[in-house]
Formats: sequence, C-alpha cells, structure tokens
Amino acid sequence: MLIKFPHCLAIALLMSCSWSYGQIAEFDPVTDEMLGDPPPGEWLSWRGEQNSWGYSPLEQINTGNVNQLQLVWSWAMDDTGAGQAAPLIHNGVMFLPGPRGVIQALDAANGDLIWEYRPGITASIDGTERAISREALGAAAMPATAYAGVGRGVQKNIAIYGEMIYAATENASIVGIDARSGLLVWETRTADPALGYYYTAGPIIANGVLVTGITGCERYKDDLCFITGHNPQSGEELWRFATVAAPGTPEGDSWGDLPLQFRAGADSWQAGSYDPQKNLVYYGTAQAKPWARAVRGTDGDALYTNSTLALNPNTGELAWYYQHLPGETHDMDEVFETLLIDVGGRESIFKMGKLAILWQLDRQTGELIRATDIGYQTIVNVNPTSGNITYRDGMIPRIGQQIDMCPSTSGFKSWRAMAYSPQTSAVYVPITLNCELATFGPTERVLGGGGTGPVRRINYPHPQSDGNLGELLALDIPSGEVKWRYRQRAPINTAALTTAGGLVIVGDWNRYMYAFDAESGEKLWQTRVTTSAQGFPMTYMIDGKQYLALPVGVGGASWSSMLPRDLAPELTRPLNGNSIHVFALPD
Amino acid sequence: MQSSIRAQGSSSIWDGIYTEAQAVRGEEEYAARCASCHSVDLRGNSNSPSLLGLSFMFIWEGRTLGELFGKVSTEMPTDQPGSLSLQSYAAILAFILKKNEFPAGSSELSTNDAVLNQILITSEGAAN
Repeated sequence: MLIKFPHCLAIALLMSCSWSYGQIAEFDPVTDEMLGDPPPGEWLSWRGEQNSWGYSPLEQINTGNVNQLQLVWSWAMDDTGAGQAAPLIHNGVMFLPGPRGVIQALDAANGDLIWEYRPGITASIDGTERAISREALGAAAMPATAYAGVGRGVQKNIAIYGEMIYAATENASIVGIDARSGLLVWETRTADPALGYYYTAGPIIANGVLVTGITGCERYKDDLCFITGHNPQSGEELWRFATVAAPGTPEGDSWGDLPLQFRAGADSWQAGSYDPQKNLVYYGTAQAKPWARAVRGTDGDALYTNSTLALNPNTGELAWYYQHLPGETHDMDEVFETLLIDVGGRESIFKMGKLAILWQLDRQTGELIRATDIGYQTIVNVNPTSGNITYRDGMIPRIGQQIDMCPSTSGFKSWRAMAYSPQTSAVYVPITLNCELATFGPTERVLGGGGTGPVRRINYPHPQSDGNLGELLALDIPSGEVKWRYRQRAPINTAALTTAGGLVIVGDWNRYMYAFDAESGEKLWQTRVTTSAQGFPMTYMIDGKQYLALPVGVGGASWSSMLPRDLAPELTRPLNGNSIHVFALPD
Repeated sequence: MQSSIRAQGSSSIWDGIYTEAQAVRGEEEYAARCASCHSVDLRGNSNSPSLLGLSFMFIWEGRTLGELFGKVSTEMPTDQPGSLSLQSYAAILAFILKKNEFPAGSSELSTNDAVLNQILITSEGAAN
C-alpha cells in the first residue's frame, strides 16, 4: 500500500529531498460524500463523523474481548508542548497532529513514519516560498525554541479533504498540506498574532469549505474575534463572521456602550460540527473577556459570547444563535463540542459547558428544548424548559470580593469531548469535580491590555466528590438522567470514545487508559502508559483488524496542572512523554 | 542601593534588587520557557495570567518576593515545574520586575529564601 522513496525522485523540481521520508502511493481523494458517510474503518473527522458523536461502528473489539487488548505499536511525538492530539485515519494512514504545528503521517498498521510536516522546515510543493516566515511575523512569532505548554502551540484537530490535510497554526494562519507527501501547498494568515490571536482548534470541512474558529481574542484591539470560511484549494478567505457583535449591529447593544475595542472574547477554540442536510455548521463560542462583568464594564448579554452559532458554510451567514449564558461572569465556557443527535424525530444538538448543564437545542431553529442541570454547580439557576439563567444570590462577582463557587474557573467540563452511543442512547462526559474561592480583579482598559482579568484563586474539593477529581458521567439522551457514574481520584483526562462493541474508552491524568461497558459502567480493561492520557482516543480498521489509538500528552491548562497539583498532590506524572499507543486483539 | 539583609518588610521591590544584566538574561529564558503561555509582552492569554501592571499587583500586592519566587520555581512552567535552575528563575523574575518598571540596582536578585522573604511587593513607590 505504501511506497517510500525520497521526494527528490518523486518531484523533479523540488530543491530539497531531506525533510519528508516518502509518500502515500495509494490515496483516494476524500469527498464530501465520504465525510458525510465515512467507511466504517476510517476516521475522517476529528470526532469520527461530522455529527461529532465520537462514536465508531466497529465492533471487533467489544465488551467480551476487550480485556485481551495488546499493544501493537506506539510512537513518541515531539515534546515541544502540550499533547492533545485528535488523529485522523484514511487509506490505512494515521495523520497525527502534534505540538507546535507538526503533523506526521504514519502507517496505521505498524507505526512506520511515511512523512512529516514541520512548520518552517518542510518545503512547499513547488519549491517556492509558501510559508509565512518568522522574519515576516517579527516579534509576534512564537520563539523557535519555546516550549508550548498551554495555549499557543497546542494543536488539537486537523482536517482532511480532497488530496490535502488542513491545520491551523500557533501564529494565526491556516495551512493546506499535500496529503500524499506532507509538503506545504498554501499558508494563509487570518489575523495578527501580535494582537494575541492563535489557533488551537483546527478546521472542519463543510460543503467544500474549510471552516475554522480562532482563539486568543482576550486582548483589547481594533478588531473582533471570528470564524472564517476558506477555499480549500487556494486558501482564499471566502467569508468571516465576527463572533462579537459590533456597535451599530442588531445585537450590538448587548455590550452596553462599550466601544468595539473593548469587546473581547467569544473565541472558538473547539472545532464544530456540520449537518449536510441543512448545510449548517454549528460552533460554540467562549465567554466574554475580561471574565467578570465588573471588570469588562458591562452587565449586558455580550453577544455572541457563550453561544451556539449556526452558520451557512458557503456564505458565513448566521442562521440562528442561542446564547447559553447571557452576560456570563465567572469564566464558564460553553465553547465545547456540539453533538448532532436526532431524538424521536427531533433534530437536536446536545452540548455541555463548564457548568455541567446539558443543553438540547433544535438544530433547525436554535430553540431550546431542554436544559438539564447535573446538579454540581452553585452559580446559576436554570429553567429546564425555557433555558433561562438567573444568577444565585451573591454570585455575581465584584472586584476584590471573594466568592465561593463550584466549579472553579477550570470548569467541570473541558475540551475533553463527550461521546454519544446510539446503542445505549447516552452521552459519556469526562468531568473534573472541583470548586474555588475566587476573587476577581481589575485590568487596564487600554489597547493591547484587557485579557481575562486576574483571579486570586484557591481550589478546593467538590463537597459531593469524596475527594475524587475524576468522573466519567453517563447521561441518558434526551432526559439527561444519570445512567451511571464512575469516580476516581485522578481527573479523567481524555475525550471519550464510544464504539459499537458496547464500549466507552477514556484515559486519566494518572497514566491509566480504561475501557468501560457503556451500558453498565463496569470497568473491563485498563493499561498504563508513559504520561497522562490526554487527547482524543479513536479507533479504525485495516485489513479486517480493528485498532484502538490512545493519545498521551503532557502540558495543558489548569485542569491538567493546577487542579491535580493542588487537589491530588500525591499523584505525579513524567514531564515528557507525548505519544500515541495503538492496541488490537491478538491474531 | 539598599542592602537585602534587613528586617522583614523593610525592603521592597523599589530598592534596586536586581541588575540590568540579570534581566537581560531573564528575557531570553522567559522567551523560551514562559512566553507561550504568558505571551512575549507578559500580558498572558486565556489560560495564563498577565504578569504586568494592575493584574500582576492584584495578585501579589503585599506579599513577598520570596513567596513569588517559591511559586515560580516550584510550579512553573506548569507542564515542567521546577525544571529550570534557581538562577534562571531569579533572572526571569528580574525580567518581570523590569517590565513592571521596578528599578534595577547593582546587585543581582538572590535565590536565597531568607533574603527574598524580606523583600515586599508593593505599589507604594520607592518605599524606604
């Protein structure tokens, strides 16, 4: 299937032949139809399919045999920053995103490297200068030797389409890479990284358009946070939707009288979903910045922060929005994944933010169907049928005044995406149980300033947790009732994966990987790996054999550093070890 | 310049407690080990607090440099805590103090807890 030879032979015009190791000889272009209905053994979207279920129809590995899993191969990734990989599989090749923009193509059956793309090092496909040079970025560029522990330099997902791989960079550009060779085809800068912008979430493909949400929108600047659509062939920007409503627009009053420069936040740092029947992409947005109302200077709703947006991927036109937490004021993101699930004929979206409220929206209209508070948070009251939020007494922070809140600013839910199983009609949600004594402080209201605002922070265990930080929560769909809970000391630290083999797969901060019976919650298998399980587990099939790929990683924000350090100090992990581990049943 | 050997609280970050050369060294270390989270200009990102101005002083006002040094040298970088030399941490701290416009002096910032614990972080300029 894979033929390896130097690029200098493959591409006659290429000046250099040292960076890539070979090329994928048999590569079927990925079509919209394939993305909409992928072959069962492939993994073509960051959560498996465009509906973001995180579910595989493969069942060779199942509840009856999962305890026989064996390591087939593993691969050490760059240790230049945090690992939160969401690999893709096509034509027997794993496309693996690593820290600081590195992408590697590996033979998914044995782990052999086929090619790798290294920003600034890998040549472009025709030998001309296509990459944005560090010289052009100047002081805005991430230092070449920097260790990218949190934020800039993290690379979660990538996209595949046609004969290309797509990624979004730490320096606020989008790249198109030749999928066969790993050579750069185009790089398009979307924003100035000197203003704070960068990407951690990669693009998705929707009806032939590359859709990407940016982050790093917390600074004060003459500019607004955005989601873009790009032409996948050329890298040309087709549209841009500002996720912050500007003064003078229909929703612009929701920021009070704040001028545009001081309307920050509404980042999209987790990739969205796509419904091909409706031709709509669904993206979450993050909270307003600075986090606290009193610090940002408005108690308005601050649209379109902490919302679900439905956008036409060809035009960028807003079909509808639903704002989950109007005027949010504690750093409670609702930015996370949107699962497209039909329930009793009702085309729905299910999603959950840091507060662990499960939202069900109508996918066509954005109307709220049901809001289910899991019951862990102490900040708001939510009306289950209208979705309306009211803050509990004393819970709107004032500058310099300590409040006691659950969760902490890290949240119960994070980027560790939940998965849905149609077999059990349940979602499986990685949760971290925690609370905080929080005192929000001021920022300078000047261009270049702003940010999240400082917080004096004291973490403490959640009163219902019995000292456990980690929870895997199984919730019935659509009722939101708890089907089962699994709790343990260490945080559950990966996204969840569900399979038709009746399994739900997650890993934890303490280096364990687990397979559970999705129906009963019984733990069926575990193994231990190099460092924290971290990233997006997935599964695939090659030549009749099912493989389970589990990413492992260091780094990460407070959920993976401060919380375990403060609340489970007896747990330790190696400081290096970004890697991927692939398991299968014995032959 | 003030000596660093003084009664607790009687020395402050206004007393020229680091050197320019130390801050220059710290700038290089900062770029490599801190900037991906706290940004090249120290203003932070969504996950990492600003180390400048109001935001910095909101967290650290009234506490000692020993406390700050202890936090930085045991908890930072968050993904590789304690992985730098004490001299590197001191140089990075010198760079942060310089960017906050606290004055440099003639002797380097110490790595000694007993010394650092006597240096108060205060916005009261040039406290005696």
